Amino acid sequence: MRIKFFLLILLQILILAGMIGYRHYWVETGEKIMLRVSPVDPRDLFRGDYVSLAYEISSLDLDRLSVKELFRPKEKVYVILEPETDGTWKAAGVAKSRPSGKKFIQGTVAFEKKGSSRWEITLKDDNGNLHHLSPRWWSGMQTGARVTFCLDQRGRVTSFAKEDPSRKDPCRGSPSLTGAIADIKTTPFRLLQVEYGIESFFVQEGKGRDIESGRIGQELKVEAVLRKDGKAMLKALWVDGKVFH
Amino acid sequence: MGKKIDRGFARKLREEIEIWEREGLVSPILRDRILAYYQMKARFGGPLATGKLITVLSVLGSVLAGVGVILFVAANWSAIPVWGKLAVIFIPMAASYCLGYLLRYERGDFPRVGAGFILLGALLFGAGIFLIAQIYHLSVHFANGPLVWGLGVLPLAYLLRFKTLLSLSLIVLLIWLGMETHSWLSPKAFEFLGSVPADSRFISLFFIAGLTLWGLGLMHRGYEGLRRISGPYIVLGMLCAFGSGFLFTFDLYGGRFAAPVLWPFYLALSGLFLLSLFGLALSSEKPLGWVWEAVFLLVLLGLALYLTFLFSGLPGKGHRDLVLSANLIYALAVLIVLFLGYLREFPVYVNIALLFFVLDLFVRYFDFFWELLPRSIFFIIGGLTLLIGGVLLERKRRKILGSFKKAQDED
Repeated sequence: MRIKFFLLILLQILILAGMIGYRHYWVETGEKIMLRVSPVDPRDLFRGDYVSLAYEISSLDLDRLSVKELFRPKEKVYVILEPETDGTWKAAGVAKSRPSGKKFIQGTVAFEKKGSSRWEITLKDDNGNLHHLSPRWWSGMQTGARVTFCLDQRGRVTSFAKEDPSRKDPCRGSPSLTGAIADIKTTPFRLLQVEYGIESFFVQEGKGRDIESGRIGQELKVEAVLRKDGKAMLKALWVDGKVFH
Repeated sequence: MGKKIDRGFARKLREEIEIWEREGLVSPILRDRILAYYQMKARFGGPLATGKLITVLSVLGSVLAGVGVILFVAANWSAIPVWGKLAVIFIPMAASYCLGYLLRYERGDFPRVGAGFILLGALLFGAGIFLIAQIYHLSVHFANGPLVWGLGVLPLAYLLRFKTLLSLSLIVLLIWLGMETHSWLSPKAFEFLGSVPADSRFISLFFIAGLTLWGLGLMHRGYEGLRRISGPYIVLGMLCAFGSGFLFTFDLYGGRFAAPVLWPFYLALSGLFLLSLFGLALSSEKPLGWVWEAVFLLVLLGLALYLTFLFSGLPGKGHRDLVLSANLIYALAVLIVLFLGYLREFPVYVNIALLFFVLDLFVRYFDFFWELLPRSIFFIIGGLTLLIGGVLLERKRRKILGSFKKAQDED
């Protein structure tokens, strides 16, 4: 009885140790890549103590990638990657079977949406300069409305709101543009939403909101490790050069 | 290992020993020696008067301590280095198991507290799985966590014949079943029952899972070595089957009860159910009326499989015939379980049957009279019915359970 009892306890310890060993093996033998986290509405970014991450490769524009195939939810897909100048990787295509000779990441289709919209907003600032912005979402504001756009360091829209002169520094230190909407252009496209199993990052209790408040406009990157079959695992989160493990 | 004695046993012993002495079965000296023996037991930590309380406190203590460890790690995430986090997982887990084994089996003087420590060890094992997954961001397939936890605890529950460990393992495996099947389904296809998301495809799945657990419990009752741990299977199985069966009594027949993609789960569970009935048929000591119960469960499984594989949903609402049939089957199930409980003198059957009888009565009262009666009268009649009905039902329940006790005394 005693031997059997302790053997079963040992089995439980081995299961836990096996999980750790499996992860180490994955990190040691896998290929490390950097992925850019896409700008999201910061109100939705941190839920409790998980950082919810959406990547640029999570929402794929099938028209721009010239992909004609149709996809079903839960279908396994391989997103072909190509390097960018800053060392991160972007999507260059989507395949249903494992691509050979190319770098790829394995994901699961969340959904395919045919009539998704891509917005191109032309903003006229107070000096009369025109700015062309591509927010990832848009909420009902018409031409002529005065809007403040918060931008990240690469000039991408992280959030926007109707201009409110009573609010000082609405973008909390990050670059911003304020002006009147000159033009709103909507282009329909086929969107493929893909999940890679690396969409949440655990942080210390209460820490999520601290990171959130200081992150608007900052560059968020994730270091992931790819297995041979393209499955990814999170290794670290980089917020403007500061690393969280 | 210490001999376990509880309050009921002590009271009965005192009453019986008076009779034994009057009948000349024991001498006054022997009577005093027996009484002294059990009182000694009580004085030296034997759970004479507070056995149940100690069990409850030990289980509660285990759960609280387990939650405390998780919260401690969560609250000090950055401050604790990786080896510290791992130490917080491994050391308390191993220590709980060792201390539990020592107290329950080696020294034997605190068996219930020892059992509490072993349960704490199993909870810390589960916490360890999730903490390691978080430390290393192993979020690839979240449902694997409960699966590994449930399967890791199951052999220990069998080795020690622990009902608490088995209950933990089965509950965790039911959670896994829900998470795993949910991940197989498209999230967009969710249906709503009022404001509550109630995907009707889970109803038949958990109904079949409940029947499977119930069947496994019956099989365990048939074998002397396993009888001790049949309870969690039967109780969880009945709760799961009656709980999901109760949902069939609503007008949900506009939707489907099956997701074709889940067929491996339907077949695996049904296969396990049939194997358990086969095992019961081969067992040496079958429970009284087992054939009737097995046939009844088989019919229910047949109905569930019909709804799962052949029923494709009827358009719209107002399927009165189906709802009425489901209500009749539900009422029949309550009666059969009540009868089986009475036949075998199983309080758990009687209690569960009455619980779901009252639940059904309450909900049907709302269904039928909400529109017909003025609100004030509705609530007054409802309240009075519940109060009076509750008293009458409780008296009846006690009478039935009391008759079991009396019959046991006479035996």
